[in-house]
Amino acid sequence: MQKIIFTLILFILSQLVISQNYKVGKISKSELTEKVYPLDSSANAAFLYSKRNTYFKYVQNEGFKVITEIQERIKIYNHEGYKWATKEISYYNPSMNAERVTISNAKTYSLKDGKIESYKLKKNDIFDVKENKYWSTKKFTMPNITDGCVVEWTYRITSPYTSIDAVQLQYEIPVKKISCKIEIPEYYVYSIKETGYLPINIQKLQKNKTIVIKDKTRSGGKVVKTYYSTNNINYISNTTVIENTNVPALLKEPYVNNIDNYKSAIHYELATTKWPNKPLKNYTKSWEDVAKTISKNSEFGGELKKTSYFKEDLDKLRAKFPNKNELMLAIFEFVKHKVKWNNTYGKYSYNGVRTAYKKGEGSVADINLILVAIFREAGIHANPIILSTRSHGIPIFPTLKGFNYVIAGVEVENNVLLFDATEENSIPNILPIRDLNWKGRIIRDNGSSTWVNLITQPAKLNTTVQVKINENGEVEGLERAQYMNYEAYYFRNTYGKVKDEDIISKMEEENSNIEISDFKIINKNNLYKPATIMYKFDSDELLDVVDDKIYFKPLLFMAETKNPFKLETRDYPIDFGMPNNNKKVVSITIPKGYAVESIPESFAIGLPNNLGVYKFSVTATGNKISVISLFKINTPIIPTAYYPQIKEFYKQMIAKNLEQIVLKKV
Amino acid sequence: MKRNKYSIVLLLLITISSYSQNNIFSVLNIPENLRKNANSIVQKDESLVTMDSQTSYTLKSQQIVTVLNKLGDDNALIALYYDKSRQIKNVVVYIYDAFGNEIKKIKRKDFKDVSAYDGFSLYNDGRYLYYKYIPLSYPYTIHSIIEIKSENTAGIPSWRAIDGYNQSVQLSKFTFRYPLDVKLNKKEYNFNGFDVKSNAINGEISYEVKNIPAIKKEPYAPSFRKIIPYVRLSVNKFNLEGVKGIANNWKEFGKWYYDNLIQGTQALPVATKEKIKNLTSGTNDTIEKAKIIYNYVQNKVRYISVQVGIGGYKPMLSSDVDRLGYGDCKALTNYTSALLNVVGIKAYPTLIYAGEEEKRSIDAQVASPQGNHMILNLPINNKNIWLECTSQKVPFGEIASFTDDRDALVLTPNGGEVKHTRVYTAEDNMQQTNGNMIIDDKGNLKAQLTIKSTGTQYDYHLGKYDGETPKELDVSLKKYFSNINNIHLSKAEVANKKKEAIYKEDIAFEASDYASFTDSQMLIKINAFNRRSTVPKRIRNRKLPFEITNGYKDVDSINVQLPKALKVNYIPEKVELKNKFGEYVMELKKIDETHYLYVRKLKILGGLFPKEMYDSYRKFIKQIRKYDNTKIILTK
Repeated sequence: MQKIIFTLILFILSQLVISQNYKVGKISKSELTEKVYPLDSSANAAFLYSKRNTYFKYVQNEGFKVITEIQERIKIYNHEGYKWATKEISYYNPSMNAERVTISNAKTYSLKDGKIESYKLKKNDIFDVKENKYWSTKKFTMPNITDGCVVEWTYRITSPYTSIDAVQLQYEIPVKKISCKIEIPEYYVYSIKETGYLPINIQKLQKNKTIVIKDKTRSGGKVVKTYYSTNNINYISNTTVIENTNVPALLKEPYVNNIDNYKSAIHYELATTKWPNKPLKNYTKSWEDVAKTISKNSEFGGELKKTSYFKEDLDKLRAKFPNKNELMLAIFEFVKHKVKWNNTYGKYSYNGVRTAYKKGEGSVADINLILVAIFREAGIHANPIILSTRSHGIPIFPTLKGFNYVIAGVEVENNVLLFDATEENSIPNILPIRDLNWKGRIIRDNGSSTWVNLITQPAKLNTTVQVKINENGEVEGLERAQYMNYEAYYFRNTYGKVKDEDIISKMEEENSNIEISDFKIINKNNLYKPATIMYKFDSDELLDVVDDKIYFKPLLFMAETKNPFKLETRDYPIDFGMPNNNKKVVSITIPKGYAVESIPESFAIGLPNNLGVYKFSVTATGNKISVISLFKINTPIIPTAYYPQIKEFYKQMIAKNLEQIVLKKV
Repeated sequence: MKRNKYSIVLLLLITISSYSQNNIFSVLNIPENLRKNANSIVQKDESLVTMDSQTSYTLKSQQIVTVLNKLGDDNALIALYYDKSRQIKNVVVYIYDAFGNEIKKIKRKDFKDVSAYDGFSLYNDGRYLYYKYIPLSYPYTIHSIIEIKSENTAGIPSWRAIDGYNQSVQLSKFTFRYPLDVKLNKKEYNFNGFDVKSNAINGEISYEVKNIPAIKKEPYAPSFRKIIPYVRLSVNKFNLEGVKGIANNWKEFGKWYYDNLIQGTQALPVATKEKIKNLTSGTNDTIEKAKIIYNYVQNKVRYISVQVGIGGYKPMLSSDVDRLGYGDCKALTNYTSALLNVVGIKAYPTLIYAGEEEKRSIDAQVASPQGNHMILNLPINNKNIWLECTSQKVPFGEIASFTDDRDALVLTPNGGEVKHTRVYTAEDNMQQTNGNMIIDDKGNLKAQLTIKSTGTQYDYHLGKYDGETPKELDVSLKKYFSNINNIHLSKAEVANKKKEAIYKEDIAFEASDYASFTDSQMLIKINAFNRRSTVPKRIRNRKLPFEITNGYKDVDSINVQLPKALKVNYIPEKVELKNKFGEYVMELKKIDETHYLYVRKLKILGGLFPKEMYDSYRKFIKQIRKYDNTKIILTK
């Protein structure tokens, strides 16, 4: 019996879904009366329907065009959802071969005295903005938006390019129903991959299609006649159909490097073309193939072969640095200062290495390909390493698009030294943070390629503090902090160009209960040594003097007091950027006439699988107390499953840091 | 790799080519006192503005700026705005190295041409030509020569001696030439303490200043506009996007604005008028009627900005706002005004400078299109009510932290009138926290709180919490209580009490390990919910006065329940502080052995203070922080 009821409910539910009309303009009353999204009452808006058809259309004399037709029907529940009534469609719009966008059927629907009313978007309320030389945006916002209304529009993008935009299956708001159809003629073969955690229902079909080509011929006799002939070409169209219902919203969380890595979508990349009577043309297939394709590109491999433009400069460097290792660093520093980065990414040279070298500015590829070329010419065995930056996400599958950046690598014995000359403070193996994503692929000059790790060194900070306490509750001390690897890189990015007096105020602001004097920095801008700061400090806020007792935290102003992990649960991995290593040593001299009444017990906690460890110890001997705190995270990215452990790890560390030392008058 | 790599870097940086002391672009000509604290130095900034007629002026300028370090790069950015009525006639830029040798010549075609996206408009017809030089080494000098022609004589360029902090000026010169049948209005600011030479003859006025050292930014400094010399100019015969006008003062300017840009835009469909009359028919009270209409507008419209030509100044038709349900600040203000007029309530669009950081007034003497925002003025019973019409959330008559306490121009059919907007006192900007905290013998905390805020604090809480999803709110509240770890919220309700103009939060949570321990004692920070944690930066040898833009008052009253199993060992004494900056009171009143009432009152007064008082202000805040960290001690 129960089973019958269950099937009945299922039947009714499916009936409900079926009875919904998704034809353009057929908005139902129930869609307009709905007050909240049934499965997530926190949604401010939801896609009632999102439809996409992408197909190839043959245009005589022009060839195939890619047409994408979109229909979007969005329910707006409340004011916070009003932004979904504004749409921006970005399209490629260079002076030649521009994409075309046409918008139609845009209307707002709302219920007025029980009747459905609609308000049309007028043509002159659609704006076309030329953002720059290549890109334009169509923008519009729908009229008469009220809580509970529904907006709907359709648009079509006609593109002369074979690239197919990823099919997005998840948004910041939930989706009730999504249906996509991608039809691709047999001549084009795309690699297809899914991302995200959601199950996706994909169906594949084949259809027969025909291209009709009209030919016009003229007879050459006395009477000129024009003959028309038609030529039919039959081909198979490979169709992918994706249907999904009730897709939850994609939620943002802190400490996620790039949320797009976790968004449900289907990605396309052209792999081969198979034209009749022509040999198969392969574009990409494996990462090996991708590397090969990139290396053969004239704006990559070709640029590496040019050497004449830097010869003179290299000769000078060679004369000055006969030692090979010194020469390597000298070349690196030379390129950093010779060609400055113009904030353009890319794996291919932008304006050509020669131009970049001459102008003194260039893209990532310009700069780092120059570096590789000079290294090679100098006899240093260097190769380019392609990678995908953090903002570009983790590549889904082997495609050319998967990489958007190139750095230089020098293979020495079993190791690879990594170089990125676009950032002043970067040194070998300490790459800019944007580079630290996934892994890189080194492309050797013999055409072979292999993976390399991009993060090789932990961020390291060692702090030692010596303090004297007096009975009035004042503290005087000396701090020495040594910044290494990424800590040094961060330090120099923040303070490298800042005057000492401004650094002091900034540090006082951060540790706002101390005042700093006798401030000194060693190796502020000498990148190849750790940066070290030293200063004296005093404070009257670090101790609590109560009657004949003095209370204080063993680590004083360096105690960790706030847990960064506040969420109850978490959906995405925790990204620390790189391994971390933070050591603090505090030596405290207590005032005369006082004795240690109590100190916190020593403590150690580890994360599973050696992901991290925290050790804390306090020892008292005579009038001296010594405190050691050691924090280590060994993996840059920690899987979501460990979130409860990480949270607990921080919780216990902080509780320990907050425990007090008590001194008593004797 | 033993040798010091430092030497390599140095060698590479110093790439000396030729040397010439006479070169005017050489940095060697810059006096030492102008280098101090400077990221860039304006060697020369010379502008000539010629008003050719009521409908045209030309700006010819050249600037020579030397950039000393990376932080000065932004001063070398050249961004030229243009649109249909403002054309860039000519632009050439030269870059020189430290010795005055030309490195580069940049022509118009080397500039990027982009849409002037302002960050909030859906569409805006303005564009920018911009060029950003990527330096190979410092210092370098950028010399730009620019000619711009504009039809908008209503907004003729004015002179400002320095653009920003950490920039020194060797020579800044400005000349304005105008036809003799035109009358010039001017207002000079902050000339005191600067050697500004000005010269006015018939049809020409000029200003010149030399050798101004760089000013370093200091926290709590008043806006730059209150420190450096600048001039605002306007002419009495002008043109604005094709609309001509004559005005000698604000009254006339306001009249012109009203007649040309407001009048005729307020017609409404009959149905809407009827609806408004029906809605307000239940009351005879003017303010009640206005509240009903304001509420109607808030529910009907949303803010969308579209700026095309005269649309940058003239509101779109009220009938269009009625039809579309959206508009920019002018459109929505004017629409609200039109609706109020339907029931006979006078309501006037008002030009104003909006902004939280600086309460910028319009210049009382110089009539010209000023302000960056529009609000509505309702003079009712000899009082002024101000309405912000772009927000669907703020209560009737509340303008705290955006347009409060400043001069604005009210546009009426009889002309313009300068009025000062509502001033919020410290008591107006109130936050009240009431609740209970229970500490158990493990040091865990259980809290139940109600927080109510008004004025600027209302605004702050609204901006922080309103419209957040439960998950977002969970994170925001944990951030607010950042002194407490391990929070688990059991209640998190926020409410925008529009009628009472109060933002209210009802919160309950538990937090483990709140107290800290020694081996025999428990220490509890008694102020758990509203602790002052930051102190203004210490500034050695402060140069600028300091300003606290908004005063405020916090009153906390918390019932504290301590664990029975432990004995109270130490309870702090009452603290009372009072000075020119405000007042602070902290007290723990004993109710019985385990119950106390914690009371904290903090009042900070707004105001502009001389630099000498900065240290005592810091000291005051430090004391507050200290008392906010007070612990009570219990013994096991």
